Amino acid sequence: MDLESIVKALNLKVRSGEDKLKAEIRGGYTGDLLSDVMANSKEGDVWITRQVHQNIVAVASLKEHAGIILVHGNEPAKDTLEKAVKGGVPIMVSDLPGFEVIGRLYALMSKTG
Amino acid sequence: MLEISLHILDIVENSTRAGAKTVSIDIIEDTERDVLSLEIRDDGSGMSEDVLRRVIDPFFTTKTVRSVGLGLPMLAQAAERADGRFIIESKGGEGTRVAADFKLSHIDRQPLGDISATLVTLVAGNKDIDIIYRHEHNGQTYIFDTREIKKELEDIPINHVTVLNFIRSHITEGLKEIGAEA
Ligand SMILES: Nc1ncnc2c1ncn2[C@@H]1O[C@H](COP(=O)(O)OP(=O)(O)OP(=O)(O)O)[C@@H](O)[C@H]1O
Ligand SMILES: [Mg+2]
Repeated sequence: MDLESIVKALNLKVRSGEDKLKAEIRGGYTGDLLSDVMANSKEGDVWITRQVHQNIVAVASLKEHAGIILVHGNEPAKDTLEKAVKGGVPIMVSDLPGFEVIGRLYALMSKTG
Repeated sequence: MLEISLHILDIVENSTRAGAKTVSIDIIEDTERDVLSLEIRDDGSGMSEDVLRRVIDPFFTTKTVRSVGLGLPMLAQAAERADGRFIIESKGGEGTRVAADFKLSHIDRQPLGDISATLVTLVAGNKDIDIIYRHEHNGQTYIFDTREIKKELEDIPINHVTVLNFIRSHITEGLKEIGAEA
Protein backbone atom coordinates (compact mmCIF):
# COMPACT_ATOMS: atom_id res chain seq x y z
CA MET A 1 0.00 0.00 0.00
CA ASP A 2 1.29 3.47 -0.82
CA LEU A 3 0.76 6.86 0.81
CA GLU A 4 -1.47 8.03 -1.99
CA SER A 5 -4.11 5.37 -1.25
CA ILE A 6 -4.04 6.32 2.43
CA VAL A 7 -4.44 9.99 1.60
CA LYS A 8 -7.52 9.12 -0.47
CA ALA A 9 -9.05 6.64 1.95
CA LEU A 10 -8.65 8.87 5.01
CA ASN A 11 -9.15 12.13 3.19
CA LEU A 12 -5.84 13.55 4.41
CA LYS A 13 -4.56 16.99 3.49
CA VAL A 14 -1.05 16.83 2.10
CA ARG A 15 1.20 19.66 3.33
CA SER A 16 4.58 18.56 1.96
CA GLY A 17 6.32 15.82 0.01
CA GLU A 18 3.61 15.60 -2.70
CA ASP A 19 6.11 13.87 -5.00
CA LYS A 20 6.79 11.09 -2.50
CA LEU A 21 3.25 9.75 -2.22
CA LYS A 22 3.97 6.72 -4.38
CA ALA A 23 6.28 5.42 -1.67
CA GLU A 24 5.41 1.98 -0.37
CA ILE A 25 4.41 1.88 3.31
CA ARG A 26 5.82 -1.03 5.24
CA GLY A 27 4.14 -0.43 8.57
CA GLY A 28 3.05 2.19 11.03
CA TYR A 29 4.19 3.65 14.31
CA THR A 30 2.45 5.91 16.80
CA GLY A 31 4.06 8.08 19.43
CA ASP A 32 4.76 11.61 20.59
CA LEU A 33 7.99 10.87 22.40
CA LEU A 34 10.81 11.39 19.92
CA SER A 35 13.31 9.13 21.64
CA ASP A 36 10.76 6.32 21.65
CA VAL A 37 10.00 6.80 17.97
CA MET A 38 13.72 6.85 17.21
CA ALA A 39 14.25 3.63 19.12
CA ASN A 40 11.24 1.63 17.93
CA SER A 41 9.90 2.79 14.59
CA LYS A 42 11.16 1.29 11.34
CA GLU A 43 12.18 2.38 7.90
CA GLY A 44 9.14 2.74 5.64
CA ASP A 45 6.74 3.30 8.53
CA VAL A 46 4.09 5.95 8.42
CA TRP A 47 4.36 7.84 11.70
CA ILE A 48 1.18 9.08 13.38
CA THR A 49 1.69 11.85 15.93
CA ARG A 50 0.32 15.11 17.23
CA GLN A 51 3.72 16.72 17.70
CA VAL A 52 4.21 19.61 15.31
CA HIS A 53 7.75 20.69 16.28
CA GLN A 54 10.44 20.74 13.59
CA ASN A 55 12.28 17.94 15.41
CA ILE A 56 9.72 15.47 13.97
CA VAL A 57 11.06 16.06 10.46
CA ALA A 58 14.59 15.23 11.59
CA VAL A 59 13.39 12.04 13.25
CA ALA A 60 11.36 10.99 10.21
CA SER A 61 14.26 11.59 7.88
CA LEU A 62 16.75 9.85 10.16
CA LYS A 63 14.48 6.80 10.38
CA GLU A 64 13.53 7.01 6.69
CA HIS A 65 9.82 7.00 7.40
CA ALA A 66 7.42 7.00 4.46
CA GLY A 67 5.70 10.04 5.95
CA ILE A 68 4.11 11.72 8.97
CA ILE A 69 0.40 12.02 9.72
CA LEU A 70 -0.59 14.79 12.13
CA VAL A 71 -3.85 14.09 13.89
CA HIS A 72 -6.73 16.06 15.36
CA GLY A 73 -6.33 18.94 12.93
CA ASN A 74 -2.84 19.86 14.10
CA GLU A 75 -0.92 21.74 11.43
CA PRO A 76 2.88 21.60 11.15
CA ALA A 77 4.65 24.62 12.68
CA LYS A 78 6.12 27.05 10.13
CA ASP A 79 9.72 25.87 10.46
CA THR A 80 8.50 22.26 10.51
CA LEU A 81 6.84 22.74 7.16
CA GLU A 82 9.88 24.48 5.70
CA LYS A 83 12.14 21.62 6.80
CA ALA A 84 9.71 19.03 5.45
CA VAL A 85 9.44 20.73 2.06
CA LYS A 86 13.21 21.05 1.83
CA GLY A 87 13.87 17.48 2.96
CA GLY A 88 11.05 15.97 0.90
CA VAL A 89 9.32 14.47 3.92
CA PRO A 90 5.57 13.98 3.37
CA ILE A 91 3.44 15.56 6.09
CA MET A 92 -0.28 14.85 5.98
CA VAL A 93 -2.97 16.23 8.23
CA SER A 94 -6.21 14.65 9.46
CA ASP A 95 -9.02 16.31 11.36
CA LEU A 96 -9.83 13.06 13.11
CA PRO A 97 -8.50 12.25 16.58
CA GLY A 98 -5.50 9.91 16.72
CA PHE A 99 -7.51 6.92 17.89
CA GLU A 100 -9.70 7.03 14.78
CA VAL A 101 -6.87 7.70 12.35
CA ILE A 102 -4.92 4.75 13.68
CA GLY A 103 -7.95 2.47 13.77
CA ARG A 104 -8.91 3.20 10.17
CA LEU A 105 -5.33 2.94 8.99
CA TYR A 106 -4.84 -0.35 10.75
CA ALA A 107 -7.99 -1.83 9.25
CA LEU A 108 -7.01 -0.58 5.81
CA MET A 109 -3.49 -1.90 5.98
CA SER A 110 -4.40 -5.31 7.37
CA LYS A 111 -6.98 -5.74 4.61
CA THR A 112 -4.69 -4.91 1.71
CA GLY A 113 -1.37 -5.98 3.25
CA MET B 1 13.42 11.29 26.26
CA LEU B 2 11.46 9.95 29.20
CA GLU B 3 13.74 11.53 31.78
CA ILE B 4 15.86 14.64 32.12
CA SER B 5 18.82 12.46 33.11
CA LEU B 6 18.89 11.05 29.58
CA HIS B 7 19.25 14.58 28.26
CA ILE B 8 22.15 15.03 30.67
CA LEU B 9 23.92 12.01 29.15
CA ASP B 10 23.35 13.44 25.70
CA ILE B 11 24.56 16.96 26.46
CA VAL B 12 27.64 15.77 28.35
CA GLU B 13 28.49 13.58 25.36
CA ASN B 14 28.73 16.80 23.35
CA SER B 15 31.15 18.18 25.95
CA THR B 16 33.38 15.13 25.90
CA ARG B 17 33.37 15.14 22.11
CA ALA B 18 34.49 18.77 22.30
CA GLY B 19 37.51 17.68 24.33
CA ALA B 20 36.36 19.05 27.69
CA LYS B 21 38.56 18.37 30.72
CA THR B 22 35.99 19.53 33.24
CA VAL B 23 32.20 19.32 33.07
CA SER B 24 29.93 20.91 35.66
CA ILE B 25 26.32 19.85 36.02
CA ASP B 26 24.02 21.96 38.20
CA ILE B 27 20.47 21.12 39.16
CA ILE B 28 18.28 23.47 41.14
CA GLU B 29 14.87 22.46 42.45
CA ASP B 30 13.04 25.47 43.80
CA THR B 31 9.53 24.68 44.96
CA GLU B 32 8.68 28.26 45.84
CA ARG B 33 9.59 29.64 42.42
CA ASP B 34 8.23 26.45 40.86
CA VAL B 35 11.37 25.97 38.79
CA LEU B 36 13.62 23.07 37.99
CA SER B 37 16.79 24.22 36.30
CA LEU B 38 19.60 22.31 34.66
CA GLU B 39 22.90 23.82 33.66
CA ILE B 40 25.85 22.07 32.05
CA ARG B 41 29.15 23.87 31.52
CA ASP B 42 32.28 22.59 29.87
CA ASP B 43 35.76 23.82 29.01
CA GLY B 44 35.81 22.11 25.62
CA SER B 45 36.56 23.61 22.23
CA GLY B 46 33.40 25.73 22.18
CA MET B 47 31.68 26.88 19.00
CA SER B 48 31.93 29.71 16.56
CA GLU B 49 29.03 32.15 16.44
CA ASP B 50 27.96 30.65 13.17
CA VAL B 51 27.73 27.13 14.60
CA LEU B 52 26.06 28.42 17.77
CA ARG B 53 23.28 30.01 15.74
CA ARG B 54 22.50 26.68 14.12
CA VAL B 55 22.64 24.18 16.99
CA ILE B 56 18.90 24.30 17.71
CA ASP B 57 18.25 23.28 14.13
CA PRO B 58 17.72 19.50 14.21
CA PHE B 59 19.31 19.25 10.76
CA PHE B 60 22.57 20.70 12.00
CA THR B 61 25.39 18.44 13.17
CA THR B 62 29.13 18.23 12.76
CA LYS B 63 28.96 14.46 13.14
CA THR B 64 29.81 12.80 9.85
CA VAL B 65 27.93 9.54 10.38
CA ARG B 66 24.50 11.11 10.04
CA SER B 67 22.73 14.22 8.91
CA VAL B 68 20.75 15.20 11.98
CA GLY B 69 21.79 16.42 15.43
CA LEU B 70 19.01 16.04 17.96
CA GLY B 71 20.70 16.33 21.36
CA LEU B 72 20.25 20.07 21.84
CA PRO B 73 16.98 20.43 19.86
CA MET B 74 15.32 17.74 22.00
CA LEU B 75 16.38 19.39 25.25
CA ALA B 76 15.19 22.75 23.96
CA GLN B 77 11.85 21.24 23.04
CA ALA B 78 11.51 19.50 26.42
CA ALA B 79 12.07 22.80 28.23
CA GLU B 80 9.59 24.68 26.04
CA ARG B 81 7.01 21.96 26.54
CA ALA B 82 7.23 22.46 30.32
CA ASP B 83 6.88 26.26 30.17
CA GLY B 84 10.63 26.70 30.49
CA ARG B 85 13.49 28.20 28.56
CA PHE B 86 16.58 26.94 26.82
CA ILE B 87 19.80 28.93 26.63
CA ILE B 88 23.11 28.06 25.04
CA GLU B 89 26.25 30.17 25.16
CA SER B 90 29.61 29.28 23.75
CA LYS B 91 32.95 30.77 22.85
CA GLY B 92 35.46 29.19 20.51
CA GLY B 93 38.44 28.00 22.54
CA GLU B 94 36.75 28.58 25.89
CA GLY B 95 33.78 26.31 26.36
CA THR B 96 30.05 26.01 26.35
CA ARG B 97 27.15 26.58 28.72
CA VAL B 98 23.80 24.91 28.19
CA ALA B 99 20.92 25.85 30.47
CA ALA B 100 17.36 24.55 30.51
CA ASP B 101 14.57 25.60 32.86
CA PHE B 102 11.37 23.70 33.44
CA LYS B 103 8.27 24.65 35.34
CA LEU B 104 8.60 22.22 38.24
CA SER B 105 4.89 21.48 38.57
CA HIS B 106 4.17 21.36 34.82
CA ILE B 107 2.28 18.19 33.96
CA ASP B 108 4.47 17.55 30.91
CA ARG B 109 7.78 18.04 32.70
CA GLN B 110 9.82 14.86 32.58
CA PRO B 111 10.99 13.43 35.88
CA LEU B 112 14.66 13.94 36.62
CA GLY B 113 15.31 10.22 36.47
CA ASP B 114 18.09 8.17 37.96
CA ILE B 115 20.83 10.70 38.68
CA SER B 116 23.20 8.31 40.45
CA ALA B 117 23.09 5.83 37.55
CA THR B 118 23.61 8.69 35.10
CA LEU B 119 26.65 10.04 36.92
CA VAL B 120 28.10 6.55 37.36
CA THR B 121 27.75 6.02 33.61
CA LEU B 122 29.50 9.32 32.93
CA VAL B 123 32.34 8.62 35.36
CA ALA B 124 32.78 5.06 34.10
CA GLY B 125 33.05 6.18 30.51
CA ASN B 126 35.18 9.28 31.06
CA LYS B 127 37.75 8.57 33.74
CA ASP B 128 40.04 11.40 32.69
CA ILE B 129 37.35 14.06 32.75
CA ASP B 130 36.48 15.83 35.96
CA ILE B 131 32.78 15.91 36.68
CA ILE B 132 31.28 18.24 39.24
CA TYR B 133 27.63 17.69 40.09
CA ARG B 134 25.80 20.19 42.23
CA HIS B 135 22.21 19.65 43.28
CA GLU B 136 20.27 22.24 45.23
CA HIS B 137 16.86 21.51 46.69
CA ASN B 138 15.09 24.43 48.37
CA GLY B 139 18.35 25.83 49.68
CA GLN B 140 20.00 22.56 50.67
CA THR B 141 22.93 21.49 48.52
CA TYR B 142 24.66 18.25 47.63
CA ILE B 143 27.94 18.28 45.72
CA PHE B 144 29.71 15.41 44.00
CA ASP B 145 33.18 16.18 42.67
CA THR B 146 35.41 13.61 40.99
CA ARG B 147 38.48 15.77 41.78
CA GLU B 148 37.91 15.18 45.50
CA ILE B 149 37.47 11.47 44.96
CA LYS B 150 40.55 11.17 42.76
CA LYS B 151 42.61 12.87 45.50
CA GLU B 152 41.61 10.16 47.95
CA LEU B 153 42.08 7.31 45.52
CA GLU B 154 45.75 7.84 44.64
CA ASP B 155 46.53 4.85 42.39
CA ILE B 156 43.13 3.23 42.00
CA PRO B 157 41.35 4.34 38.81
CA ILE B 158 38.05 6.11 39.42
CA ASN B 159 36.25 3.74 37.05
CA HIS B 160 37.13 0.72 39.20
CA VAL B 161 33.93 -1.16 40.01
CA THR B 162 34.34 -0.76 43.79
CA VAL B 163 34.75 2.98 43.38
CA LEU B 164 31.76 3.19 41.07
CA ASN B 165 29.63 1.35 43.62
CA PHE B 166 30.80 3.77 46.30
CA ILE B 167 29.97 6.71 44.05
CA ARG B 168 26.52 5.38 43.35
CA SER B 169 25.61 5.06 47.02
CA HIS B 170 27.27 8.38 47.90
CA ILE B 171 25.05 10.17 45.38
CA THR B 172 21.90 8.27 46.30
CA GLU B 173 22.45 9.05 50.00
CA GLY B 174 23.38 12.65 49.35
CA LEU B 175 20.28 13.33 47.28
CA LYS B 176 18.10 11.69 49.91
CA GLU B 177 19.63 13.92 52.57
CA ILE B 178 18.72 17.13 50.76
CA GLY B 179 15.27 15.74 49.99
CA ALA B 180 15.67 15.85 46.20
CA GLU B 181 12.30 14.99 44.71
CA ALA B 182 12.01 16.12 41.08
N1 LIG C 1 29.50 21.38 24.33
C1 LIG C 1 29.78 21.57 23.01
N2 LIG C 1 31.00 22.02 22.62
C2 LIG C 1 31.29 22.21 21.31
N3 LIG C 1 30.40 21.97 20.30
C3 LIG C 1 29.17 21.51 20.62
C4 LIG C 1 28.80 21.30 21.98
N4 LIG C 1 27.50 20.87 21.99
C5 LIG C 1 27.12 20.81 20.71
N5 LIG C 1 28.09 21.19 19.87
C6 LIG C 1 28.01 21.28 18.38
O1 LIG C 1 26.64 21.34 18.04
C7 LIG C 1 26.27 20.26 17.19
C8 LIG C 1 24.86 19.83 17.51
O2 LIG C 1 24.78 19.20 18.79
P1 LIG C 1 23.60 18.19 19.11
O3 LIG C 1 23.84 17.56 20.42
O4 LIG C 1 22.31 18.90 18.92
O5 LIG C 1 23.69 17.11 17.95
P2 LIG C 1 24.89 16.08 17.69
O6 LIG C 1 25.70 15.93 18.92
O7 LIG C 1 25.58 16.52 16.46
O8 LIG C 1 24.10 14.74 17.37
P3 LIG C 1 23.26 13.86 18.45
O9 LIG C 1 23.26 14.61 19.75
O10 LIG C 1 21.90 13.73 17.86
O11 LIG C 1 23.99 12.57 18.55
C9 LIG C 1 27.33 19.21 17.40
O12 LIG C 1 27.49 18.40 16.27
C10 LIG C 1 28.57 20.06 17.70
O13 LIG C 1 29.18 20.50 16.50
MG1 LIG D 1 24.74 15.58 20.82
